[in-house]
Amino acid sequence: MATEDSDVADELHEPGEGGGHDIEFYGGRIASAIPLALFVAWAIFQSGVLQVSDTTGLVIGMLAALVVGMFFTKGSWASYANTIFEGMTQRVAATAIVAWLWAGMFAQLLQDGGFVQGLVWAADVASVSGPLFPAVTFLLAALFTTGIGTGYGGTIAFTGLFYPAGVLLGANPVLLFGAILSGAVFGDNLAPVSDTTIVSAVTQNADIGGVVASRFKYAILAAVLAFAGYVVAGQVMPGSDVAAGATASLDGQPLGLVHVLSMLTVIGLAVAGRHIIEAISWGIIVALVFNVGSTLLATWGVIESGLQTAPALLFRAPASSGLAQSLDWLPFVVTVEEGTGVAGSLYGGASGFFPLIVLTLLIVAGARIMIQGGGFEAIQAFLLNRVATNVRRAETTMVLGTATVNAMITINTAAEIAIAPYIARIGERFNINGYRRANILDANTSALGYIFPWAGGVLVGYETMRGLGENIPVVNPIDVWPFVFHGWLLFFVFLAAAVTGYGLEYVSDRESEEVSRA
Amino acid sequence: MTLGSFLAGVGFRTNTPSFEAGDEITAFVTGVEDGTAVARVGDSKLRISNAPADAVDTLVRLRVEGFNEDTHVGQAEYLETVGESSF
Repeated sequence: MATEDSDVADELHEPGEGGGHDIEFYGGRIASAIPLALFVAWAIFQSGVLQVSDTTGLVIGMLAALVVGMFFTKGSWASYANTIFEGMTQRVAATAIVAWLWAGMFAQLLQDGGFVQGLVWAADVASVSGPLFPAVTFLLAALFTTGIGTGYGGTIAFTGLFYPAGVLLGANPVLLFGAILSGAVFGDNLAPVSDTTIVSAVTQNADIGGVVASRFKYAILAAVLAFAGYVVAGQVMPGSDVAAGATASLDGQPLGLVHVLSMLTVIGLAVAGRHIIEAISWGIIVALVFNVGSTLLATWGVIESGLQTAPALLFRAPASSGLAQSLDWLPFVVTVEEGTGVAGSLYGGASGFFPLIVLTLLIVAGARIMIQGGGFEAIQAFLLNRVATNVRRAETTMVLGTATVNAMITINTAAEIAIAPYIARIGERFNINGYRRANILDANTSALGYIFPWAGGVLVGYETMRGLGENIPVVNPIDVWPFVFHGWLLFFVFLAAAVTGYGLEYVSDRESEEVSRA
Repeated sequence: MTLGSFLAGVGFRTNTPSFEAGDEITAFVTGVEDGTAVARVGDSKLRISNAPADAVDTLVRLRVEGFNEDTHVGQAEYLETVGESSF
């Protein structure tokens, strides 16, 4: 780390004018893209070829790529090393990281607070038949994922609970899995606590509440068409052959539906213009009151059972410690012989984002090297001079570029971070406003992350399905891609929007709020 | 934030937006043409007579001085710099 003033100034200054750059590479400006290009190649190999969905594996890939890139640097390697620090300390990364930590805690509280069981109860009460089951599942999965913000979490919860019930009721398994993935796309795209929503807003200098409000006009349009598609396809496609003689079991709990209020607290406050940290903090408090309060009521015998399937926070202290033993009357302290540590919804929710946080820091460092080395400028100049020559073509390039990168890389948030600088710069060169840029970036990131067989969303659903038991059919990931209706429709809505100007807003029409209010 | 936030942008927007003389707008300076800074908004262009030398990719306040509806090109006066590119 630099310690002298001159070194600090060297860290912070921008690339010079007239083609001069901070770092020179053997192979010219384009060689500055080596770290990011190697990372993309690693990501495709790990997640696409080997089908290993492991974010920490991508962290190692990005670390290796940064080391390899250094060998292509001309002269001193200090500028290259300093640029890594410079990239990591950008506000765009810090803002996303802070929002993720809050969103992670909130999402886990809802997951551990019986939200999905509440939705299961609703589906049971409605007595949904097999042919209609995929359409209803799409709506409920969309609602659930909009609450918890993570499409992977929504896919796991619904594949574990709704998929077997739906199949036993006679729903077509492939269509049902497609409906679950569609619901995950919807929530990943729209939820203010979604990791991709947060990245899309902060990288395009727009506030999260405003971004969420501005994307309803695309999301609802695609969702209405997708819902109609599931209703029609449910009637036309053959039902599950395991349904005969089997009894469907939907074991839900109505109390879980209170978390609709937790969800509306966050969405309402975010859209009303409150800072996202403030909005999610209130959501956490409301969810905690429901979870802990219902557990206390159950303890006192007022209600049959509480919402919590895991404590909000639990210190597992060593039994050998006398001090710990003297405190184990506290509800959040337990003494154990082995396996000491901290656990609970708040702990797991925040720590679940740690690998993605480290990966994000490394990717923005790689992007900074590409900017300081001139590679970013070279690709941008090519795109602006040859491809994105007018505003319609620019937006089409943004849609197709985001979709392509996300179709290749399993973990869609990583792909989104890599493509975000291009969306920002190409959009800014036509004064396309921050909300519109964030919407193009996030919709295509969310949509393409749940369609192809190597996509992270498809893989987590497939893994969950394999653990359901012999009687439940497993959908091959390669069969489901045509049936993720909302994913495809969202992509085509944006392609049509780019070509026709539907929803287009310029910076001069309406400025997005300051990023400080992210 | 009101219902307007949800409905903003609903509809089809032209690729060549128009401006009135006297309008004060915010826009990114998107390039330099023949030595003059330009703010390209969609496929319309505003030439900025007195922009700072390093204004490209900065967000500036402008006052529109004139705009030709046929060529979609106008002139604007630089008022102040209010921000910069996201990256």
